[in-house]
Amino acid sequence: MAKSLYPRPTIKKIVKAQSNRAISKDVDILVFLSYTLFMRSLITEAKIASKKAGETGKDALSARSVRKVREGVLRKYKG
Amino acid sequence: MSESARKKQRTSPRTSDITDTNPSTIYNDLHRLAAIAAKPVTPYRRAASAGAATPGSRTVRTPGTARTPRGGPATRPIPSRRAAPTTPHAIRALRERKNAARTPGNARRRSGRMQRETPRDILRDLSRVLARDKPPSPVVPARPSRNSALDLPEIDDGPEPAAPRLSMPLGDMYDDDDSIHAAPPRQSLLPHLPDDVDNGTLQSLEFGRRALSEDPRMMYTGRVSERFGDLSELGMDGEEVEVDGIFVNRRRTINPEDMLDEVPEEDMDDTTAQMLTGRRGGRPSDVDLGIFGEEDDETEEPTFRFTIPPRMQAPAPRTDDDTGNGNILDQTIMEEDEDADEDAEQQIFAGAETEQDEATAMIVDDDDPTNMQQLDWESDPGPDEDADLQAYREEISAIDRSLQTQSPERPLEARKRAGRQLKVLNVSRFGHEYPSVPAATVKTLATGFAASQGSKAKISKDTLEALVQTSDFFFEQIGEDLAAYAQHAGRKAIEESDVIALMKRTRQISDSSTVFSLAQKLLPRELLQQLRMPQKPKLKGPKRKT
Repeated sequence: MAKSLYPRPTIKKIVKAQSNRAISKDVDILVFLSYTLFMRSLITEAKIASKKAGETGKDALSARSVRKVREGVLRKYKG
Repeated sequence: MSESARKKQRTSPRTSDITDTNPSTIYNDLHRLAAIAAKPVTPYRRAASAGAATPGSRTVRTPGTARTPRGGPATRPIPSRRAAPTTPHAIRALRERKNAARTPGNARRRSGRMQRETPRDILRDLSRVLARDKPPSPVVPARPSRNSALDLPEIDDGPEPAAPRLSMPLGDMYDDDDSIHAAPPRQSLLPHLPDDVDNGTLQSLEFGRRALSEDPRMMYTGRVSERFGDLSELGMDGEEVEVDGIFVNRRRTINPEDMLDEVPEEDMDDTTAQMLTGRRGGRPSDVDLGIFGEEDDETEEPTFRFTIPPRMQAPAPRTDDDTGNGNILDQTIMEEDEDADEDAEQQIFAGAETEQDEATAMIVDDDDPTNMQQLDWESDPGPDEDADLQAYREEISAIDRSLQTQSPERPLEARKRAGRQLKVLNVSRFGHEYPSVPAATVKTLATGFAASQGSKAKISKDTLEALVQTSDFFFEQIGEDLAAYAQHAGRKAIEESDVIALMKRTRQISDSSTVFSLAQKLLPRELLQQLRMPQKPKLKGPKRKT
């Protein structure tokens, strides 16, 4: 893992802007944890989708497959 | 010991004298008689302490078993005689005897008692048989004291003595409960308090009001955005809602021409200043589901409060940006499976670009940076309506400006936007601009996960682009959800518990995988420690490593 995994102020800013609310202290870590899980499942799904579509080559993770699966994954992570 | 027992016995007739005032039943009479009758003091003491009486048996029996039934709870002299048991065997024996004293060993004691039966015991047995059919009489409170004084465990077993002990605390409990239940009516009066009262937690007690709005999907539904997509395709119709300070006004803009005619004449006071909840532009049924949905009828009530502070929700941008975001989300998510939709999106963006030129021109005089968004996304219908639209927009913006609380953030926003042209800045539906998710982070994460799943896939550029976009969607979604959760809790700030609730709901965390186990797996150590330290009360079985 990288030294600092993500820029905390940026994530804070994003969540704050999207929710129009104040953010308590360590929320962004949890949000990022959630985001990490989301990303993991997104990539898993995308990989499955691209395998199904028969894409080969070194670019096993195509943008198209990401777009295909992301709606479902987003919905899964909707509270 | 025996001295104290005798004292207690002496008090017992006095307590039973209280019962003389009661209507005399057979039961009462027998009790009084039993109290008066000679008490088996001597047999008890002898049974308890008379080691000399049965010396032979005493040598044989083990301390744990045989002595306990014989002595029962009345064997007080024994611990006094031998002060402290030293051997483990003796300690265990004493403990067992104590336990035996606590449990009502009915049969054993009766067998012991049968030997020294007195008229008093007979009377008591008789009274117990008779009492079974009687309703619980006022005699009953007098009984426990005498029973405990006499150390007769048999009477403890009767069903009656338990009743007063239970009923008294229960009554107290209900009294307390009544006082608790009396509180909510007072809560409902609270909305009439002045605005600046810090009543975050009190508002959260309005159960009934929030019942329907609990489902965040009803408030922040994806279908609303779909509907926005429809609306923007049809030009404009349906409702438009303006948030004016604490009011949310919805007005129907079925026809742009109508609106052109209507709007200037109308004072915004009577433009169907309906109390709407949080979400504007939804179907009316959706709109009613909010917290203040029941206040729809009292439209001009000044006590209405919109929980979001008015400065934060810049009125015009909310509506417009929402439309815009709905558009984006819709079009990108729904259609991008095919490749063709990208073209469509490009077209839209292109249209937006062209519009933006005019828009910026307008913004100069409007001094309202957020109108740009509106113009961007309402430009879909096509260039032929441009004249009408332009006029319509100008009307709207004028009205909006008159209605808006002039928040100092807005010029600041404009300045910021001008200064940071280099970065891609999106604008949320609340009018806040925010940076996109940093691509480096996304790439790091994605590469890590892709590598962990076996492939050496490098993330290509457009894949990364798609991932970043998805991340933006995700953060938008989670922001909405968290805002809804915090609002439901009556808070103005999002807290850790909201995120945890969200993660629980989306089944990211469960009993088996807690936040901390996940964080341990996925987050670097310093973040993990950050996460762990402030949350002492919330620790649910974290693995204390290090």
